Amino acid sequence: MKKRYLILEDGTSFEGVSFGSDATKTGELIITSNINGYQETITNPIYHNQIVAFSQSSIGNIGINRKNYESIFSSIQGVVVNEYTDISINHLKKLSLGTFLKQREIPGIEGIDTRQLMKHINKNGVMKASIVDVNDEHAFNQLNATVLNNQQIQTVAINKPYLIPGSGKTIIVLDFGLKEGILRQLSKRNCNIVVLPWNSAYQDIINLDPEGIVLSTGPGNPLEVNEEVLKTIKLIQTKIPLFAMGLGHELFALANGAEIIKLGIGHHGSNHPIKKIITNQIIYANQSQDFAVKNNSTDLKNLITTHIDLINGTVQGLRHREYPAFTVQFSPDGAAGPNDSADIFDEFLESINSKRGQ
Amino acid sequence: MSKVVIDSMAMQRALTRITYEIIERNKGINNLVLVGIKTRGVYLAKRIQNRLEQLENTSVPIVELDVTKYRDDNKDKEKTNNQVAFSENNIDINNQNIVLIDDVLYTGRTVRAALGAINELGRPNRISLAVLIDRGHRELPIRADFVGKNIPSSQKEKIQVLVNEIDGKDVVEIE
Repeated sequence: MKKRYLILEDGTSFEGVSFGSDATKTGELIITSNINGYQETITNPIYHNQIVAFSQSSIGNIGINRKNYESIFSSIQGVVVNEYTDISINHLKKLSLGTFLKQREIPGIEGIDTRQLMKHINKNGVMKASIVDVNDEHAFNQLNATVLNNQQIQTVAINKPYLIPGSGKTIIVLDFGLKEGILRQLSKRNCNIVVLPWNSAYQDIINLDPEGIVLSTGPGNPLEVNEEVLKTIKLIQTKIPLFAMGLGHELFALANGAEIIKLGIGHHGSNHPIKKIITNQIIYANQSQDFAVKNNSTDLKNLITTHIDLINGTVQGLRHREYPAFTVQFSPDGAAGPNDSADIFDEFLESINSKRGQ
Repeated sequence: MSKVVIDSMAMQRALTRITYEIIERNKGINNLVLVGIKTRGVYLAKRIQNRLEQLENTSVPIVELDVTKYRDDNKDKEKTNNQVAFSENNIDINNQNIVLIDDVLYTGRTVRAALGAINELGRPNRISLAVLIDRGHRELPIRADFVGKNIPSSQKEKIQVLVNEIDGKDVVEIE
């Protein structure tokens, strides 16, 4: 039971107890309000280089199992929980969360009042944090001096294409640091999936003659993504039915002239009601966003807003007015989070059928 | 034995997609008039109208059409002669873009009758056809512009579209 500290950029320090690895790590602190799905969260590449805190009071009680990985690697910088538990009766559990973190050299810290922490972050904004052994001046100086890497996509996305064979439609997935849930949903629907690097050229994509294209979720700031990617999206949406999520949605918006803003308080969790405007339905989905499409910044001649977050009013879905291209800000694949919107993948495949029937 | 080919979720999705496709191909909703063919087509048209209104905050005019009088297999011509085909007769369809909406596209004879009826009312800019199901077996050179689902079927089979408004549930069954 080693005593350790979570220190924040603004000088705040929280005392806790170590679990997992004893490494000292630094990253942007984000807090998720998801009650379940911690394994999916800590293996989701969207949280690359971030320290993830859980507002849910008890974490670890189903261990780590073979089915819930969202990527093979986990590149988060730390896990902050209120209470770490290792009593599990889950039949799939092979590994405890603590052992998993130790294997991956990710530090964990428990005994932190994560709800208090969430209030603090919501009040003072997103900031850097470290998990350290001593909370002295030197530690704070080091934290403040750390410049966070902005090459997130380059680090977590693949740089060589691969194929997941299927007997159905050929779908290209552009990998911006995708979570496996996207591939799982497409696999379930028998798609023949070609995963390409995020910066693939337009002509290389077209040469593969796909029936549809998916822009994946991913980490980092959409405004720092290469301009060439936007040009590719702009061309490709006119040729092939397109569906995008998360970072892909933000890039699609940028390519079509909308503005992106960084949210003062990012949202991570699945507790926000999202309105599907066309049918006036309310759905819940896992959201992990620090950026959003600015309201009323979309060129109405180009884009229709299809989904809206009812708590903070952010744009949650867009659709092109002229082409079968639509996007959502949230993760519809239900890992972690509700499955309310998983049938958006059916909608995508149906729009491909429809385009083909023309 | 009847088999469900489209459940309620899939029907909602199909109507949602058709709505977006109408916006795509019509380049917005200006000059749009929806014509629902009685009986089920009217309810589908109303749902599409609702969806368009949700998205664009504008109500697109909708007309109900009873094609009995115009059918080529109408044997009782005298009796139906005085029937009113359109629910609204004072609507101006000249230069409008009409989307004709029906539940199932089969021989194409219903659609031909509808075209005949519209023809008597005026000269629209364009008429397109949206159907929930296209089951093939056309007897006339007619095709749909917006299709919920293609269901290749045998002529012996019966395809039934049920809608919540009058049948109490949304489902498409084949038997």
